Amino acid sequence: MDTILEDLRLGHHKGSGRHLAAALTPIDTPRLPNRLKSFYKRWPAAQVPSNIRQCILQAPARDSPKLPKQELNAWVDVFTAYWRAVGEIVQFEDYSSRASWVKVFDAWKELANILIRGYSNFGFQAWTIPCLYVVGKYLRIFAIKADAEIASQESMAFADRFQDDVTTDFGKNGKLEETARILNRMFTLCLGDRNSIEESRKWGVYYMTNLLFKTYFKINAVGLSKNLLRALNAQSGDIPPLGSFPKSHIVTFKYYVGVIYFLDENYVEAEQHLAYAWDHCHKNAIKNRELILTYLVPCHLVTTHTLPSRKLLTPFPRLEKLFRPLCDCIRKGDLHGFDAAMSAGEEEFVKRRIYLPLERGRDIALRNLYRKVFIAGGFEESKDGQPPIRRTRIPVAEFAAALRIGTHADDRSRVDIDEVECLLSNLIYKGLMKGYIARERGMIVLSKGGIAFPGTGV
Amino acid sequence: MVQNDKTRVLANPEASNWGAPFAAHAPKHETAAEELSRKRKSAEYQTDTNSYPPWRQTNKQNAFEDRISYSPTDKRQRIDFKNSSKSKANLEMRKKRFEDPRSGYASSPSSRGESPTPGPPSGPVVGTCQNLEKNYFRLTSAPKPDTVRPLPVLMKTLDLLKKKWKRDNNYGYICDQFKSLRQDLTVQHIRNEFTVNVYEIHARIALERGDLGEYNQCQTQLRALYAQNLGGHPTEFKAYRILYFIHTRNWTALNDALADLTPADKRNHAVKHALDVRSALALGNYHRFFQLYLDTPNMGAYLMDMFVDRERLSALAAICKAYKPDVKIRFITEELGFESDEQSARFILDHTAEDLLQEKDGIVKLLTGGRAAQLFEQAKSEAHRVVDIKGQI
Repeated sequence: MDTILEDLRLGHHKGSGRHLAAALTPIDTPRLPNRLKSFYKRWPAAQVPSNIRQCILQAPARDSPKLPKQELNAWVDVFTAYWRAVGEIVQFEDYSSRASWVKVFDAWKELANILIRGYSNFGFQAWTIPCLYVVGKYLRIFAIKADAEIASQESMAFADRFQDDVTTDFGKNGKLEETARILNRMFTLCLGDRNSIEESRKWGVYYMTNLLFKTYFKINAVGLSKNLLRALNAQSGDIPPLGSFPKSHIVTFKYYVGVIYFLDENYVEAEQHLAYAWDHCHKNAIKNRELILTYLVPCHLVTTHTLPSRKLLTPFPRLEKLFRPLCDCIRKGDLHGFDAAMSAGEEEFVKRRIYLPLERGRDIALRNLYRKVFIAGGFEESKDGQPPIRRTRIPVAEFAAALRIGTHADDRSRVDIDEVECLLSNLIYKGLMKGYIARERGMIVLSKGGIAFPGTGV
Repeated sequence: MVQNDKTRVLANPEASNWGAPFAAHAPKHETAAEELSRKRKSAEYQTDTNSYPPWRQTNKQNAFEDRISYSPTDKRQRIDFKNSSKSKANLEMRKKRFEDPRSGYASSPSSRGESPTPGPPSGPVVGTCQNLEKNYFRLTSAPKPDTVRPLPVLMKTLDLLKKKWKRDNNYGYICDQFKSLRQDLTVQHIRNEFTVNVYEIHARIALERGDLGEYNQCQTQLRALYAQNLGGHPTEFKAYRILYFIHTRNWTALNDALADLTPADKRNHAVKHALDVRSALALGNYHRFFQLYLDTPNMGAYLMDMFVDRERLSALAAICKAYKPDVKIRFITEELGFESDEQSARFILDHTAEDLLQEKDGIVKLLTGGRAAQLFEQAKSEAHRVVDIKGQI
């Protein structure tokens, strides 16, 4: 007996969602390179339902009664639909001209719909929710392939609906949008389950949420992710605590929540969630840790005005390459270098959506530049035996000179004194400098006692 | 500000295809804000009460995220034509045109009840109507060819509308006519340079009148049209797009807009200006922001007027915290792009207390410090709540 049917039999025999999910996984494996084809070619179409039924019936669950008839019929329908979907997939192995990812997607969508009905109408039990995971996951994968196939074949078609404008949608992600709607139904299935917690589908709620987040991000509908969060928050009393879920579900969830807040420029909240994900992420999940840091570093820059240490980034060469030039310029107060590093990395920063917060690093660079002016100003003459204190009344013109040097301004682009005051007022406003501007005298008066530049020691 | 901007637009041959300047009166800032406020309220009300028939609701499912189409108000539909004298034949034609959509509307439900109607005929409608002016009605069934104007007629319509806008400046009428014009292009599947031109002109007029819902619809369509390389002025509208997202504080969409720009786009004067505006705001550089504001290309100033007061409040919050003991009103006027000391004084008094402005030896000063800083911080927070805009994104 081949592995798909074996997993199906074992799944029902042991009450193992993992085996059922393995049966529904639509890929060949190195150990079984003909897994799908042998399943598909095993019987003619007319005999598929009865043989699947037979396979399930061979394995009565050890300690429980036989499956109710409705439930059994529904599982037969699920695996029959799966068989049809596999039939579309193996076309690619045969290099058939009939091979089409759109057909694969449509067949898999039918499977997803039947599976959902199994839970909502025919009593599928909670231990089988790994089936939702695997069907949802591959629905998304097949949708992406189908959309790519469509994009390579079609130009923008005229729609014949009754509409007032030339186009109503760009149609690039049609299958993925369908997927989002189906995943939403799966999510609702999990969230809305009223069974006691031991038998509840609520245990699947974070996996489905994560799958939806991934999909919404892909189709640039991040706003819809917030609807998901609201739904979860509304039901938070009924959902088991985060610590009770598999860690991989929660780390992924926290990562996405962090990114959602990040994109809304709510960096304080974003940092909390990303830091949780970072702290709990598996040490060997290098790829995932790199993803988390991609957003945590800019977040930290905005919220605490601090830069990542060299040690932190060393295990991640790509992040080192991405962030190091910027960090060096910020640390040195090198505005010209900062601007050049932002330009050089712009495409990558925009693609990852971290350009906007990284740009705020310029404030830190500016502070560091002005801090150098302060330090270079030296000390007042000591009086009455008191230890000497730093000069705290500094002409704005000195900061203007520093800015001129720092931005490589030539004679034609003079630095405007009013603009220098503006930049100083912003640093004071943001708490990066402590003091005030006395405009009439053209001076800035900084605080005494080592707090002129809070957090930097002077 | 607006007057200068208009002059610059008209002097710039690349900015617009309009043949001659239109003598629109520059709306006062308060008036424009009030109109915008009323317009937005009206739009929301209209949307809530507009109940679609069942088949119309079915069609709406095609839109993925919530897309709200701006629907015309009753007032607009009641607009009388300027030229009241019409031949009897024209009057008959007009009456027939009014009746057609209603009869289509009335027949649909019974037809649907009896048996499912086959879908609308595929392929474009070939129009035969010769009227230059036509009121806009939402489509509820396939349009009849004799109510649709072919391309040569639509071209004459556009010429007429441009003249009327210049002469009468009646926005309600012009918007109604442009929507009708766009609809006729759509049902005939006409997509060419003329189509782009129509949407661009409507978008610019809507911008000038602060009708962001209508502007947003046109702008969405223009993006799709530009993708087909049909001509027009894509960089002008990419600049508006950036300014629009600054106004709505939609940072996710703004990042996407940045991702869409090509290196050539970034070198374009209008796009570069918009990018500089965004950067100045991100860094809190109000000095540079207001310099850019006073030097805005094309019609971008109409968009910037939507958020300039918000940024003035941000700047004043920073100024009140950073400067002591006071600053001259003239400094505020020059730094924050006000037209006069009187205007800046009025702005300050609108958001703070009277005693924070003091006159001494003929010089008016704003008393910076804790109390003023607190009041401006408060005003700034209120002004920065997220803007809710109707229309397609």
